[in-house]
Amino acid sequence: MDKHRKYRYIAAFCMLGAGVFVFFVLYICMGSVEISVREMMRAFAGVDDMETKRRILWDIRFPRAMAALILGGALALAGYLLQTFFHNPIAGPFVLGISSGAKMTVALVMIFLMGRTVRVTSADLIAAAFTGALLSMGVVLLLSRRVRGMSMLVVCGVIIGYICSAVTELVVTFAEDADIVNLHNWSRGSFSGMTWENVKVMAAVVFVTVFLVFRIAKPLGAYQMGETYAAGVGVNLRLLRAGIVILSSMLSACIVAFAGPVSFVGIAAPHLVKKLLGTAEPLLMIPACFLGGSVFCLFCDLLARTMLAPTELSISTVTAIFGAPVVLWMMGRKHADRHVNDP
Amino acid sequence: MVHQNKESIGFLVNQMEQICRAKGMAVDMEQYYFTTQKMCVGYDGRPLIKDVEIALEQGEFLTLIGPNGAGKSTVLKSIAGQLRLLGGSVCLGENVLSEMKRNELARKMSVVFTQKVRAELKTCRDVAATGRYPYTGRFGVLSKEDWRLVDEVLELTRTANIAGQDFDTVSDGQKQRVMLARAICQEPEILVLDEPTSYLDIRYKLEFLAILEEMRDKKNLTVVMSLHELELAKMISDQILCLKGAYVERYGTPEEIFEGDFIRELYGIDDGIFSGDKKFQAYIRQIGQI
Repeated sequence: MDKHRKYRYIAAFCMLGAGVFVFFVLYICMGSVEISVREMMRAFAGVDDMETKRRILWDIRFPRAMAALILGGALALAGYLLQTFFHNPIAGPFVLGISSGAKMTVALVMIFLMGRTVRVTSADLIAAAFTGALLSMGVVLLLSRRVRGMSMLVVCGVIIGYICSAVTELVVTFAEDADIVNLHNWSRGSFSGMTWENVKVMAAVVFVTVFLVFRIAKPLGAYQMGETYAAGVGVNLRLLRAGIVILSSMLSACIVAFAGPVSFVGIAAPHLVKKLLGTAEPLLMIPACFLGGSVFCLFCDLLARTMLAPTELSISTVTAIFGAPVVLWMMGRKHADRHVNDP
Repeated sequence: MVHQNKESIGFLVNQMEQICRAKGMAVDMEQYYFTTQKMCVGYDGRPLIKDVEIALEQGEFLTLIGPNGAGKSTVLKSIAGQLRLLGGSVCLGENVLSEMKRNELARKMSVVFTQKVRAELKTCRDVAATGRYPYTGRFGVLSKEDWRLVDEVLELTRTANIAGQDFDTVSDGQKQRVMLARAICQEPEILVLDEPTSYLDIRYKLEFLAILEEMRDKKNLTVVMSLHELELAKMISDQILCLKGAYVERYGTPEEIFEGDFIRELYGIDDGIFSGDKKFQAYIRQIGQI
């Protein structure tokens, strides 16, 4: 029995790893300028006539692919943490309004700083997004004490999301700045315009956060079974809850600061990965979710870039097309065996 | 209502202590493994039950009985350290419970409460294995030794045959035994159970209690639990604590508790309501004589 499981885990991780690799290569090669793998090799080997292609690869596609990989993983992991926290399979940073909260504060800070012609750094944006994410999370937490049932919680989250988006739109409309075009693009969600500088910052932040998530993998596993059982084996619930809130907000904030709000990845990716692994064990789910989110985002952003090239779709458009049906299917299924899953 | 606490062991302990103190002698509490002193429990600072005095030796079974909403679960949660005491203290061996480290407590006491367990994609063996939590390392990975112990416990609780099955697909009776297996995997000295036999059919009820007895014989396990089934409580308990209203109504051996009309009083069964019906009259007379 255990051997069978071990093989399944190994197979699942191989598939995810291969998925990341394949889509990464496709991501880099495909686009308005097609570049074959051989050309890519030559370009990086420093062949002279490949300078333009080298530029496209190194300055545009590579950082963008890295961003999709890192942020996609972070997004899926944030979703997984929130689902565990609320014992709710359709929780996620987007549906709970956390992304929108982060978006609102980022927009406010950007406009405020741009108005004073101050240069906005990545760190500023992350800090702003983190504050917004925590604010939204705080409201959701307050509401979660009052409302019963997972669907009501999601409804509350969606409403919070709408309020924050409305405020953002309002601010953006009244800002009247040349950079507003940029801001508008970003507020719909996009991986475009990533620089290596951005990638470095997000890699550092996400790496540290993921490391900390691994550190709480053990209590997270106990928490999944229910609060009283977790407390019964010696889990410090208060500390764990605070940890999950802060780490998931940090991950959500990082995504919003760089790519704007991206929908459905946080729900669809963990769910698909769980099906693939056949376990909910956090120690396996944490890395698998990250890889799954990476594959999902690389795939979706590849489509966003190439489907209607040279026009680009917003990333959320594509993630919604592929992610939302997964969520719907999941809701239908969960309804059937509700008695098992409800508290 | 007359307080019958005078008969209770808790009261005697108190008396003993007071006498000892008066004579300047050291208080010898060593024979008791689990005690509560003037324990006051409740929610949000509002006391529900006051002055709970319990004294259990190792290997003794204490059962809490009383009407719905009398606070049995509240007392059990407080005993397990999951609800802050509003007064008094709980002692486990030589340790005061509130001063113990979480992990240390989890190695001595395990709980089975009424909250439904979420066991997504877990087999019964996986669920039982989660009881090893206080003994595993940073990442919670079980060693070979741990797994061997889990399998032993599954045998003991007669759940080895369903070990590989998905937890969500087995019956309530089996689930409850798996939850017991999980609690035993924690290698506790004391087990706290909240209505462990509710929702089980009579065979499973008896089997469940038989397993507890076996654990007492083998490992000298102490048990504190709540039961709704009075006849079972009478059969298995060394001590019974009756809860109703703001104080412990009565605390003593089963013989003391099931004496006279007390049970009828405890549950507020008034002959008057049923006076017109002979069936009920006959049944009510029986209750007193379980």
